[in-house]
Amino acid sequence: MANIEKYSRQILFAGVGREGQERLLNSRVTVIGCGALGAMQIETLARAGVGHLRVVDRDFVEESNLQRQIMFEEQDVADKLPKAIAVEQRVRRINSDIDIEAIVADVNYTNVEEIIEPSDLVIDGTDNFETRFLLNDACVKHSKPWIYGAAVGAYGLTITIRPYMTPCLRCIFETMPPPGTSPTCDTAGVILPIISMIASIQATEAIKILTGQFEKLHGSIVHIDVWENLYNKMKLGKAIDRVDCATCKRRNFEYLNARTGQLATSLCGRNSVQITHTDRVRIDLGELAERLRQSGEVTLTKFLLKFKVGDYELTVFPDARSIIKGTDDIPLARGLYAKYVGV
Amino acid sequence: MPTVIRIPTPLRKLTSDVETVELDGSTVGELIDNLEERFPGVKARLCDENGNLRRFINIYVNGEDVRFLDNLATAVKDGAEVSIIPAIAGG
Repeated sequence: MANIEKYSRQILFAGVGREGQERLLNSRVTVIGCGALGAMQIETLARAGVGHLRVVDRDFVEESNLQRQIMFEEQDVADKLPKAIAVEQRVRRINSDIDIEAIVADVNYTNVEEIIEPSDLVIDGTDNFETRFLLNDACVKHSKPWIYGAAVGAYGLTITIRPYMTPCLRCIFETMPPPGTSPTCDTAGVILPIISMIASIQATEAIKILTGQFEKLHGSIVHIDVWENLYNKMKLGKAIDRVDCATCKRRNFEYLNARTGQLATSLCGRNSVQITHTDRVRIDLGELAERLRQSGEVTLTKFLLKFKVGDYELTVFPDARSIIKGTDDIPLARGLYAKYVGV
Repeated sequence: MPTVIRIPTPLRKLTSDVETVELDGSTVGELIDNLEERFPGVKARLCDENGNLRRFINIYVNGEDVRFLDNLATAVKDGAEVSIIPAIAGG
């Protein structure tokens, strides 16, 4: 039985109160991605007493994570812990009253529905468009609220999505940018303050939803550039009535049905994984080369780009196809692609 | 009177890291054309080959999404606030 007095300061806050606290203790939240945003969201929700947390991540803790991923410590790097497991261990130390379930997995069209199924709410802690558009499909299909958040550099965005009541991610951004055109944290860097701000707004929205206070939601695209001192909201307004959205109007779940997006195949016996796109996309290899030069060794020819980072070599073609050498682990390869090419 | 446009971080590589630009133009489309004149290459990131706004970029004039106004023909009056919000990936 949870000791509710542990939350006395939060109960004193009129927005939560005793009833709100009891609701939190009975809530189920899934956080997809335990990187910078995910760790901050989980830390906040675990301390707030959200009773059942499910956390999912495909990656391992690395030294370069520690600057901004607040749940991890040097020992986790030394132990090469999966992020989801490191998060689980830390949450148990923070609040032993709540259930925490770690899933080490690549979230894709085969498992996303099962992963989100028991949740009252899903929070986006991912680092790529591919998984976010997939999450949007799954959450709209199953009418689950979810909270989009993203950050790079000192800039971040967040949108709270309640399927059929607010615009969904595809009402706002109808397609994802082509691979290789958007900066990622691994090519353009990121600082912790913008992560804390975006994840804290996401966590606050989560608490409002879990305690049933929908009128308090911000109803906007919140966008912040903490370096340039820009703190702004664009009202979502009536986009839901005005867009013929593939996902929430036509219920055509293209990412979930894997009719669009990315396909990964392990190339047998070659210690390589190939990533291809079902969309017809073109990559400007020259521009990608310029961005990658800060992160590793780049070779550019008329036909392809080769990029060496650590033990891996990524070969990228102009149609966004890539062969990742040095592993036959698909989640790992998809992670490297998301980090360096950017999807 | 020129309109001040803030360039969002993900696009600044294309604007020599400039954060804000003052541009002339009476519509969103004219502002983009003038931005392109100043920083060649940036228009291709905002508009597709047919000249329509790309579907992963949102432009707001005084807080209204131009998709629900007149798209690139949306009028920009003196003192209007124009924001460009691209989808971003990191996290």
